[in-house]
Amino acid sequence: MKNLIQKAWLFASAAAALASAARAESLNLAYGAAVYTDAKEGVLRAPEGVACTDNGNVVVADSGNGRLLLFTYKDAAFRQVVEVKIPQLGRPVRVQIDSHGDVLSLDQRARRISRVGAGGEFKGYLEPARMPAARGFQPVAFKLDKADNVFLLDVASSRVVVVNAAGAFQRQLPLPRGSFVDVAVDAQGIIYAVDAVGAVVWSAGKKDIAFTALSKPLKDYASFPSYLAVTERGLLLVVDSHGNGLLVLGPDGSYLGRQLSIGWSAGLLYYPGQICVDTKGDVFVADRNNNRVQAFTPVK
Amino acid sequence: MIHGLLVLAFLLAVASKGHDAALKLKPGAQGPLCLQCHVSFKDQLEKRFVHTPVRTKDCTGCHSPHATQHSKLLSEEKNKVCLTCHDKLLPKVPVSIHKPVADGVCVSCHDPHASANKAQLVKPGAALCATCHKELTDGIAKAKVKHAPLEKQGCIACHEPHSSVSASHLLKSEVPALCARCHKTADPTFTRAHMGYPVGTSNCTSCHDPHGSSQPGMLYDTVHQPVATKNCAQCHQLASDPKPFLTKRVGLDLCRGCHAQAVAQMLDKSAVHQPVIDQRSCLNCHSPHASKTAGLLNGSMKTVCATCHADTIARQQHSPSKHPPVAEGKCTECHDAHSTNGTLLLSDKHKPETCAPCHEHMSHSTHPLGVKFKDPRNKNLTLDCLSCHRAHGTEYKKLLPFAKTTELCTSCHLQLGR
Repeated sequence: MKNLIQKAWLFASAAAALASAARAESLNLAYGAAVYTDAKEGVLRAPEGVACTDNGNVVVADSGNGRLLLFTYKDAAFRQVVEVKIPQLGRPVRVQIDSHGDVLSLDQRARRISRVGAGGEFKGYLEPARMPAARGFQPVAFKLDKADNVFLLDVASSRVVVVNAAGAFQRQLPLPRGSFVDVAVDAQGIIYAVDAVGAVVWSAGKKDIAFTALSKPLKDYASFPSYLAVTERGLLLVVDSHGNGLLVLGPDGSYLGRQLSIGWSAGLLYYPGQICVDTKGDVFVADRNNNRVQAFTPVK
Repeated sequence: MIHGLLVLAFLLAVASKGHDAALKLKPGAQGPLCLQCHVSFKDQLEKRFVHTPVRTKDCTGCHSPHATQHSKLLSEEKNKVCLTCHDKLLPKVPVSIHKPVADGVCVSCHDPHASANKAQLVKPGAALCATCHKELTDGIAKAKVKHAPLEKQGCIACHEPHSSVSASHLLKSEVPALCARCHKTADPTFTRAHMGYPVGTSNCTSCHDPHGSSQPGMLYDTVHQPVATKNCAQCHQLASDPKPFLTKRVGLDLCRGCHAQAVAQMLDKSAVHQPVIDQRSCLNCHSPHASKTAGLLNGSMKTVCATCHADTIARQQHSPSKHPPVAEGKCTECHDAHSTNGTLLLSDKHKPETCAPCHEHMSHSTHPLGVKFKDPRNKNLTLDCLSCHRAHGTEYKKLLPFAKTTELCTSCHLQLGR
């Protein structure tokens, strides 16, 4: 009997410690800086995409102006390095930076991914090859892993397709029924996808052949979850585009909290788009309808 | 039959005696005594259909003679008193249940005492249903052809009035089984009418209006041209094919065959609504055969848009001030449902800074508005209607995002803040 009580006590203590750890793992953000213009004071227009690297490189898809702006971010300040305005970009809405510093950018109109060097030179399109036959190919979002594999959310065939940096097919995963709008991949190779209408985040491990629901429906916390990012600690940041905020989910999909809110002043969001989080925990948000990109730093 | 009536009379007498015993009523102190004061109630007894406890003058069957916690001196709550006798009306596992039944407001359809109508209905047949389903019954009234069972037997030809244990929408059974009770699907005329396609197990109400229609074949008011011209093979395989319902192409590719120009225009814009290009494509919002609504929508525009944007519709519903286009479900007043060159799918003719087609904002307000005026809160914004209002509604009046007007004003005019 004594043993049983001891075990129960240990179990309760462990559960409490875990719960406490989960709470501690949530994320609080403070406003850091914002970029409103390029180096020549040309204003950003409806920027929908942003990507970042751990060494402080930030690329902004200045969608309304049909260009990319490459910045460095250091000591809470943006400094523009390069402006890329080439016809191949179309209307860039999602961006990623690969391990060589090249920028991959999805054109919303042509739904084609172009590759641009760090100096702004066009390096060609990503041409997915040898993909299994399906009902068409319409990528609406993509992410890269550390090995530069590209994870494409293809809504025409309701799947996530993985191709390598050269575009060669690696793997595909069918999506469950839903309205999927973004995909993410973490350091362990776990793939995440968000269903905006069902307000559910799904995940699939490296060897899984199908997605399973990671979170419960998040309708109580989000109006229209639309963009995803994974932090170094495995937290999921989900942009609630219509609710103008960020949801923080634990690695198990549990709801940990909500950050930021609607507004036009610095630190507030108005129909936000893509986000990026670096290993330091700095979060960059394409604050689309505020015509700017904002940086937030984690605080205790 | 006579035996059954005798048993019923016996049971009622026993039940009545039970009430009397519980209330320790003196002999003759039942209904006739009540009628001494409630003299006008005698008229009720003259009506053609009288509720059994009334006819047997068992007023205490439903009412308490002295005092209760319920209105009208009912012996139980109004949603429970009827169930004292009619408990079998509520199945344990209904597939669908009529709202008044679920709400326990039997009196919205039945007169608890007496009526000129069968089952003590407050109005006869379809007229009663029209009390709540006016839009539907008005539509039926206008239809050139009414569904014969509806004309002959009324709504209860196909619908259960209280609940259905087997089908949605209170149907007596699910479609097509319900339709097949009258329409013999193996009949050659049926097959001919459907171009030889084996539609016997298909959903009849995806094309046909089960109540009535002014279209041939009782199709819904808006009919897709290939259906109207009976050219099913324009989209589907031939009726003789092993898989006749298979479409010749899938998704947008199928519709593009005829709607090439419209599709090209949609895809030529920078922001395409995601359902347009996903797996179901046009079918996300449109019916391929026939529809009650213009544009072959799957339902009213509000219903269709709310399939994905329930949050937006809910926001409007909770908003103390309503924006008419949203409240009326006219989403395309401001948005282009297919694609635009801007954000938020705002149609090119309705940019946020130009709500002018409905609101003459430059005269309605003395506040500076327009591209010449910078938003003090954000140097990349100029002042437009959405600087102060949220078009779909907020929890505050006038579609404002702040509880007090002063909070709104001082978000820009910082020097005026306290």
